[in-house]
Amino acid sequence: MPKSILYVFCFIVGGLNAQISDFETIDFRKADSIALSYNKERLTNLPELTYKLTSQLNTDVERFRAIYRWVCANIANDYPLYLKNNRKRQHFKDDSLKLEAWTNKFRQQLFRKLLRKKRTICTGYAYLVKALADLANIECEIVHGFGRVSTTNIETLELPNHSWNAVKLNGKWYLCDPTWASGIPNPKTKSFTFNYNDGFFLANPKLFAVNHFPLDDQWWLIDENIPSFESFLAAPVIYGNAYKNLELHNAPQQMHHEIKKNGKVAFSYELKQTVQPDRVKFYLDNGNGSWRTSPTSISIENTSLKLEHQFKRKGFYDVHLYLDDDLISTYTVEVLGD
Amino acid sequence: MKTLDLTTKTTFKTFGFIAILMIALLAFDTSYGQTEERTITGLVVNEDGPLPGVNITLKGERVGTSTNFDGEFTFPKKLKTGDVLVFSYLGYMTQNITIDAKTNFIRLELEPDMVEMMGDLDTNTPYKTKRKKN
Repeated sequence: MPKSILYVFCFIVGGLNAQISDFETIDFRKADSIALSYNKERLTNLPELTYKLTSQLNTDVERFRAIYRWVCANIANDYPLYLKNNRKRQHFKDDSLKLEAWTNKFRQQLFRKLLRKKRTICTGYAYLVKALADLANIECEIVHGFGRVSTTNIETLELPNHSWNAVKLNGKWYLCDPTWASGIPNPKTKSFTFNYNDGFFLANPKLFAVNHFPLDDQWWLIDENIPSFESFLAAPVIYGNAYKNLELHNAPQQMHHEIKKNGKVAFSYELKQTVQPDRVKFYLDNGNGSWRTSPTSISIENTSLKLEHQFKRKGFYDVHLYLDDDLISTYTVEVLGD
Repeated sequence: MKTLDLTTKTTFKTFGFIAILMIALLAFDTSYGQTEERTITGLVVNEDGPLPGVNITLKGERVGTSTNFDGEFTFPKKLKTGDVLVFSYLGYMTQNITIDAKTNFIRLELEPDMVEMMGDLDTNTPYKTKRKKN
């Protein structure tokens, strides 16, 4: 194929799905090492911090990368603050005046904490990424919406609960989630562990759409099959590790399945890198016990992974997909009697 | 001069006064001669009063300062008409102020960024169906 046609083809494909693969030729190691070398920097002088992070880099995507990486490595998630905010927002959800008063008070409290202790909750991450990007003359927006995680009580997902970023690079918008990329909080100990997950940086918008529902439609960044809120709530639960391992989560599109005994459920994914079949496992839980098992059938062609699983006994199963030790996604299957 | 009557004298006096006034106005007019580089000072406040720690930088250059405990600043580099100062502070909307011919002192109120703060966390905790106890 002549090169020019290849470029046009790449452009068209890229235009549909703005994601990290657009920047395959860029080596982010320089941006990352700059970001990590300023680990002790404080937030008292944002213009200076922006300068330090970006001045040695030549492209906007690298400059943005350094900013994003710095935020992910330096800002801790404040779990008690998050719980307090959740409690208050739930408490005031039917009283818009009180909710607004709380929101204002909380915002001030949050910025003080971010400035002094470099701790925040997710809007703080998205806010800081935008603030630094603004100072570096990179167009960036905060996206508010619903984030769906395993511990969210799906039935009570009434108020927006998450914020992330959209960034414009080379004329195209991309998505990233600095909060979820930064690390994992432990709900039991209330401590936060930094553990950078690169999968959330300029992620595939179709994968992003599985557990990010923006309030403003323009931030789906997908052209077709935009989920309704109902279908979003009915989608499978995917975890941070899904972003590390998957390019796309194609099927099933629902979390819950009702099948008859001996019936099958089909699964289909696009992987970032091909895997050996023995790395693919299901972990089943029927309420009385849980066990590891292999899918009934596994088909891997390059990066396309297709699975089927047959359920031979009646019951209600939580079905967790693992690639090695990485928990990828969860489904529920009710197997009915004959 | 002896022939000058009282009215003429008064007229001269009035003219003289106006002339002096005009010279004085020219001399003290803040806009006169302001194409030269000059030191800019100012005060930054928020809705509650002076705001310390606001960063002020010259757009496009790595030179700047921040407001002191009383919200005041003196920009370390002399500025000319057309220069842009960027005022930033975490939690407030960044503002760009262009130095015009009359600027010597800037009084600025920063507006809080009315962003709604919320956050749900990602976890590796496997989803668990809530089951009825037998």
